[in-house]
Amino acid sequence: MATASTSVTAGKAQHEGELHVDAIGKQFGGLKVFDQVSFKLLPGDILGVVGPNGAGKTTLINIISGLLFPTHGRITLGGHDITRTVFHGRSRMGVIRSFQQTSTFRPATVRENIARAIRFSHGSEMPPRGMDALMKRFELSDRLDEQSDKLPYGLQKMLGLVLAYVTSPKVLLLDEPAAGLEIRERGRVDDFVHHVREELGCGMLIVEHDMDLIRRLCPQIMVLDSGRILAEGPPADVLARPEVIAAYMGAAEEVAEQC
Amino acid sequence: MTDRFRSFVRFCGAAELTSIGILVLAFGIPLLSSSPFLVSLVTQILIAIPAAFSVYVMLRMDLMTFAVPAFMAMGAYSAAIVGLRAGITDTIVLTALSFAVPALVALPLGALVLRLRGVYFVLVTFLLSQITQLLLFETPKLTGGSNGLAGMPATTLFGVALEDNRAVLFLAIALALLAAAITMVLTRYYRQHFAAIKENQILAESLGLVVWHYKMLGFAVAAGLAGIAGFSLVNMLLTAHPSSFSAMSSVDYIAYTIVGGAGSMFGPIVGSALLVTANNMFSNRGEYSPGFFGLLIIIVVLAMKDGIVGTAIKLAQRYRGRSRRIVLTPTQIPLQPAAAAEQTPVADQTVER
Repeated sequence: MATASTSVTAGKAQHEGELHVDAIGKQFGGLKVFDQVSFKLLPGDILGVVGPNGAGKTTLINIISGLLFPTHGRITLGGHDITRTVFHGRSRMGVIRSFQQTSTFRPATVRENIARAIRFSHGSEMPPRGMDALMKRFELSDRLDEQSDKLPYGLQKMLGLVLAYVTSPKVLLLDEPAAGLEIRERGRVDDFVHHVREELGCGMLIVEHDMDLIRRLCPQIMVLDSGRILAEGPPADVLARPEVIAAYMGAAEEVAEQC
Repeated sequence: MTDRFRSFVRFCGAAELTSIGILVLAFGIPLLSSSPFLVSLVTQILIAIPAAFSVYVMLRMDLMTFAVPAFMAMGAYSAAIVGLRAGITDTIVLTALSFAVPALVALPLGALVLRLRGVYFVLVTFLLSQITQLLLFETPKLTGGSNGLAGMPATTLFGVALEDNRAVLFLAIALALLAAAITMVLTRYYRQHFAAIKENQILAESLGLVVWHYKMLGFAVAAGLAGIAGFSLVNMLLTAHPSSFSAMSSVDYIAYTIVGGAGSMFGPIVGSALLVTANNMFSNRGEYSPGFFGLLIIIVVLAMKDGIVGTAIKLAQRYRGRSRRIVLTPTQIPLQPAAAAEQTPVADQTVER
């Protein structure tokens, strides 16, 4: 569920996977790239974030994951303030992100990649529940001993998602999971999202340009434009609004067509 | 676990064990030969090896350090000052000190410089070496300034003085062995962590690795290894002098490691042996040796990126691979249904190979 301008009620018992983003903003010198962005992400929620290039979608993921600190505002996870928690610290608390580009340990095998993800996040060697099924669905099970950067592009991206999965996240931030994938491969992102919801039940935030995918997966979306929330609600309503279509400019026809 | 994985593990261990084995064999040299030339050459090589390991450890994390002379100086001067002022000559105490002092100094320094990567780290560590040398010149009360600290008493092991050249070589071997053991334990035990930092630091952090901890650990141990090299050097010279630790000499240790091959621990050993020997042969034309090193680095970087050891291993693998080349089955392009994939156990794949 995503609602604008939610204020965090201090002291109120929250689920440990509940992410509250409260009026965050980011300024680089005099340049405001981000202003007054608030929303809630509860376990099981799938929130789509769309917007034209430069709207601040990746910046939002960078701020929530801790790669950047906001200039003002507050982020809490399960009631704990994590606004100033560093990147790896947030990862250890369960706020996990994926990357827009392929991101693996390139010269290492698929097996080694997964072993490292499990070890760095849990300090153990035990693969988490549901990993094998995911690996089979992505056809990575047969390629455990292949070097990760020799995999086809699509599988490298899927491996990136598996790495995020095996850390058992409480909040999962997906940065354009379908970017660069062929049309017939995009169903794998759907598979992944469904699998995560069933097995982990964590909240997910999906930044994506593929509107069909957003419609399929996200009951709620948020449109960002120039670092502000332009509109939010169910995708069918939001994407039909004239201001959203206007913000998309070049993509306006596509959006209008699909509605 | 497949054969390939197992052989990979075996190979990694093999490089480390070969390194240790060769250093153990070096004990034969002082026993079998008394040629002053050979003893002196081998001693120089064995002093270079811990310094090259220091570079090697940092390269595991994709950091090129020029701070080796700085930490060598800290190790060397710690041993010299304690030897001269306090009269402590026990090798074990001095070794521990020459490792611990630079390692401890590296902790606060690391907090500052380990934020940097790439060329910025190179520049700052180079400056660190220059500042250290300047400090040695400018604190004559402690370090003897430009006179250095001369007349250090000979070190002792269990009360026996290590005075002649062979005893010095004996200690140099023991120190190189210790450095090799420390390097092996560190780089093998944290192999995954260091590799992850080298290959994709952001991804490693995003998965929860506290990169900073491992960089600090690596930096402190690398400093300690350089300190051991420094102690080994003053033990040979019985003098600590700033000129032994010029910032430019950091290039030598980097050359040993990269020319030998930074892919395994065996590389720095081979590189040190070859380049120190070459340097000795050039010694009557000392002014050419930096040029010679520069040329070698250029050749290695252009023609054999993995250094001598890495290239040799690749050639050997290619030669062996020709007889039983792995033919991979073409990947099935049409998406297999999940049920069919389930019936294909992973073991089948390995049998095919």
